[in-house]
Amino acid sequence: MVDQGSELGAEPIRVLVVDDHPVWRDGIRADLESSGVAVVVGEGSDGGEAIDLAHEHMPDIVLMDLRLPTVSGVDAIRRIAEDLPHVRILVLSATGEEQDVLEAVKVGAAGYILKSETRADIVDAVRRVHRGEPVFTSGLAGLVLSEFRRVAGKESAGEPRLSARENEILRLVAKGYTYREIAQHLYISVKTVQNHVQNILKKLQMRKRYELMRYAIQRGLDRAAD
Amino acid sequence: MAAINASGTSEVEPGMRGLWLGVLVYRWATFVWMAAVALALTVRQDLRLPGLALVAVLVILAWNVWLSLTGGWERTLDRRIDLGLALALLPLSGLVMNEEAIRNTLFFATSFPATAALTFGAGSGVAGGLFAGAALSLGLVASRAANGLPPDELTDDDWGVLFNGVFYYLSAGGAAGVVRRVLVRSAGERSLAVEEATRQREKAARLAEREALGREIHDSVLQALALLRKRGKELTGPFVSAEEIHELVELAGHQEQALRVLLSEPHAEAPEGMVSLRTTLEAAAFGVQGVPVSVTTVGPAWLFSTEVKEVQGAVRQALENVAEHANATRATVFAEALDGELVISIRDDGGGFDYDEPRLAREGKLGLLKSMKGRIEELGGSMQVHSAPGRGTEVEFRVPVRRGSDDG
Repeated sequence: MVDQGSELGAEPIRVLVVDDHPVWRDGIRADLESSGVAVVVGEGSDGGEAIDLAHEHMPDIVLMDLRLPTVSGVDAIRRIAEDLPHVRILVLSATGEEQDVLEAVKVGAAGYILKSETRADIVDAVRRVHRGEPVFTSGLAGLVLSEFRRVAGKESAGEPRLSARENEILRLVAKGYTYREIAQHLYISVKTVQNHVQNILKKLQMRKRYELMRYAIQRGLDRAAD
Repeated sequence: MAAINASGTSEVEPGMRGLWLGVLVYRWATFVWMAAVALALTVRQDLRLPGLALVAVLVILAWNVWLSLTGGWERTLDRRIDLGLALALLPLSGLVMNEEAIRNTLFFATSFPATAALTFGAGSGVAGGLFAGAALSLGLVASRAANGLPPDELTDDDWGVLFNGVFYYLSAGGAAGVVRRVLVRSAGERSLAVEEATRQREKAARLAEREALGREIHDSVLQALALLRKRGKELTGPFVSAEEIHELVELAGHQEQALRVLLSEPHAEAPEGMVSLRTTLEAAAFGVQGVPVSVTTVGPAWLFSTEVKEVQGAVRQALENVAEHANATRATVFAEALDGELVISIRDDGGGFDYDEPRLAREGKLGLLKSMKGRIEELGGSMQVHSAPGRGTEVEFRVPVRRGSDDG
């Protein structure tokens, strides 16, 4: 079993699984461990545990749901991404609650995958996030396009925008093309496609910081006006 | 005051009409009184210029008839002429009456000039009403002068009568202005309230629609779950075929998709007569057998409800074609509004083919493509197919976004 998935004899990927449903945790543990690609080093059932267990186990990847009791998934991701920048976070969501997913990616999640994906897809996503690739579904690409489109009309100096190439790539991801297919389509390397997607994510996270800044300034002005 | 009706169609109308009617009644009542006084003064020979008095009465009569028939008080120019006539009438009253008779007999102009202050106030507000009242007050002083009583010869009693008149003119103009202001303001508030009520009604209707959809889907989800549980128990038995298991999985998949659609909150409220493009595409993708379909849209985009059927039909055909022939593991519907067009792409990762229209026509495989194309061209749009063996297929529909409201 083990040799089937362990690439180049590498160590198995250490994963922390956070979900409030024990049935899901068991299922994911079984999926990951039977593939031989990963081992589950801890299981948590809420956002607070996600933060604590991430500090305790220092996993390679936190695989977590967004709908969590106590601390919300998005808040937990923000904390983990700030405290432990080397820990990658992959969101495993049941419904793809759109705004939540976008928020999660903005505050530092490296990817998002639906619970309804096949076992092979989930294992593959874990593997790719571990390699440092962003994992984008077409739905998330659509959300990101919407997000950048929304501000494209407004004048806001210095805010990051997507280049024409990034737009093109994002649109292809949204149409369901894999990175390999995009690379073929555009006559560039898969690595280049990945770099573009990585940059798009960075811009998205930068946008989040601008947003917070604008909010803070706005509040300051409001207070001054009182 | 006229009853305020809540039709909301004309905002100032109902209340204002009442105000104008009141002023009009006052105008005619005072005019009749003025004519009666003129007659009495003539009979008692209190007039030194009865001919001029008659002309004045006739002019005022003609003017009142004109105003009443044309609704002239709504026009600024007519209100100014009205005030001018009233102003002229005051010194004229002094002129036609015997010298100093103004002191001890009925005043020729009576209280008719106040109607100009009322009209001015009702037409242009408090400031206008007060202005007209002040102008008439000066006219009143002039009427004494014209009657041989310059200000320095007026007694205390004369001044008392004058101040009475001044107070009367100012309060008439000011009061009419206040009534106007109240009416305009309450009309504004009423129209806001009507708008808000309409919005609430529409919102409630949409929520009800959504709830109905929710019930329907919940119901089918519950049935599917019940079926899964029942059949799931049998799965442990020896007589369950792979096909049946596959069926159950498909069933679960459809319900999951339906719930996902329901749970994805609408981003924005649809403009009237329009339907969310996303909802339309989700509906087209719902229940497609044989290949998982995901739907992605960028931002809110809308279709005229008259366009929904064709778009949904074309997308559905494309997806069914993928499910039947493409041998794909997944299909994606992607749509966005781009430069005045809705771009809808249906992409699969299947075998792909050489898109060669003449050859497809010869092989009799063009029927479905033609049908999809026909639907989209019906809407003034176009269809393109990108495909190559081993590269999957992308069908792209472009539909112009129309701005008209009823030409769909």
